[in-house]
Amino acid sequence: MLKKFIILVVISLSLGFLSSSIGLSFNQSMAIAIFSVSVLGTLFFWDFRLGFVFLGTSILLMTRTINIENVIKFASLDVILFLVGMMILVGLMKEAGFFAWIVQLILRIRNMTAVKFVVIISVISALLSTMTSEVVSIIFMVAAVLEICDYFEVDPVPYITISILATNIGSAATVLGNPIGILIATKAGLTFEDFIIKAFPLAMVCLLAAIILLIIWYRKTNMQLDKHIKELGANEMLIRLISVPPDKELKISLAIFGATLFFIALHHRLELLWDLEPNTLLLMMPLFASGCVMIWKWKRAREYVEKDVEWWTLLFFMFLFAQAGTLKYTGATDVLAQKLATLAGNSLPVLIGIVLWVSAIGSSILDNVVLVAAFIPVIQSFQSMNLDLQPLWWALLFGGCLGGNITLVGSTANIVALGILEKERNIRMTFFRWFRVGLAVGVLTTTIAWIALLVFPFYR
Amino acid sequence: MKVVEIMSKEVKSLSPDMTAREAFDIISGMEISGLPVIDKDGKLVGMFTEKDVLSHILPSYIEKVGRFVYEQNPKSTKKKITELGNIKVSQIMRKEVLKVNEDTTLCEVGRIMLTEKARRIPVVNKDGVVVGIVARCDILKAMAKESEI
Repeated sequence: MLKKFIILVVISLSLGFLSSSIGLSFNQSMAIAIFSVSVLGTLFFWDFRLGFVFLGTSILLMTRTINIENVIKFASLDVILFLVGMMILVGLMKEAGFFAWIVQLILRIRNMTAVKFVVIISVISALLSTMTSEVVSIIFMVAAVLEICDYFEVDPVPYITISILATNIGSAATVLGNPIGILIATKAGLTFEDFIIKAFPLAMVCLLAAIILLIIWYRKTNMQLDKHIKELGANEMLIRLISVPPDKELKISLAIFGATLFFIALHHRLELLWDLEPNTLLLMMPLFASGCVMIWKWKRAREYVEKDVEWWTLLFFMFLFAQAGTLKYTGATDVLAQKLATLAGNSLPVLIGIVLWVSAIGSSILDNVVLVAAFIPVIQSFQSMNLDLQPLWWALLFGGCLGGNITLVGSTANIVALGILEKERNIRMTFFRWFRVGLAVGVLTTTIAWIALLVFPFYR
Repeated sequence: MKVVEIMSKEVKSLSPDMTAREAFDIISGMEISGLPVIDKDGKLVGMFTEKDVLSHILPSYIEKVGRFVYEQNPKSTKKKITELGNIKVSQIMRKEVLKVNEDTTLCEVGRIMLTEKARRIPVVNKDGVVVGIVARCDILKAMAKESEI
């Protein structure tokens, strides 16, 4: 632990001094040093990350690197409130049995074959994460996969892996799939419609390529599953295993969730129609819907707010965004953007490649929110160089989501799912067992995204 | 009044090396929810309760998935029940255990029981050796008796 702490201090101080020596001001160097402490803090001391960002932000304030007004401005309260609203809504859906109802649909697959199973769990994992969030959807998918693999007595690891990989790919498809989606949408002024038109089809192409690769990759396990399906016959026991009666509560919850998704999907059109500021409806809908939930379920409202909202994570995000904002406020990111553009020869295609691959590789090691928060002010600084920012935002989104597949610590969904696997089946996924398939899927899907961003003018 | 004055000095306990099945049979035979786990030096190392057994045999994600109605016990649950005979108490007991020392006042023990939702708390001496156990009813009885005087 002490060794890691020394590495953290040495790297952060070195970055600070290096920044200073290449001509950056004291404030710019300080902002870079403190931000690197937070980034390395999440890498080395995950459980202490909130403490690190609290301390770092206090130092930034005390050294007058930033003021309180701007800390609050850069903390992105809009993103935080959106996430609070969505977490309350997801809490309600969970309690109403929505996710179990989805799992039940998978368990009811008729005439199951291994390939059918792979396709269905991949598609449902991806779609569920586009509607809720990767972390919530993966818990339910793991539950379903474990039950099915238990029933057919096959190794659950390949199928859990497939589900995780599909979840991370699906999380790039909409604003709701991953916190970086809403973060990029608010900073880039992108709408839900933009995501549906541009991110969703690309994510689905990536998913299709991943499914084909995974069917080939796990062909031996699939053959084994097919054999066991034939031996054990129809999955009637499985069908009877989980039941979710479509009662009044589930129906009302579905209606609230459906209406929320509907208004979020149409937010841009309605904002134009009602002359509202961009993204007002997008950010307001989860709050409106969770407000209705808290009135409808007033006795449990406090529980939704206290238990279903991950305050620890959200506070971390707020302070992290404030620190990333400090990089912009001090002008440090303008200098970095200038240097990056010079390195890329002011070529947009080269910059797209740099943003995509750096964010993919970076998010395979770091929390993708940390990485994207750092990249956002750099991309914003490219605006002053008259560069088209649109493909860079998409590159950041896809790099941040798809890179999470490369290593087993690349995304929260991976950590949660593999944690359940270890606890439930006493199976510990090794780094290299994951890395082989993760790298193959990560590289394949990121390459697809890269080609799409370079070739189709649609993304400009 | 101090807890040492009212605690039960005869402490029924479990060994960390006995199997979870044996331990479960003991607590269900005594019709109590759990017992402290004490090592051969008399030190408190954990608490073994019905809740720990339940959380071990049910799928670990069950608390996170909300309403998830199993019509039949999943295969994994049946398997885990069978495996209780091969698992040691130390593997599923709660290791972070509430304890008080002999000088703790009744009010303080009551507060801990209320805030931590504990039914009974082991009492340890300054060497960490268990010297007694105090239950919620012991606290109430002692408080009622004190107010009568």
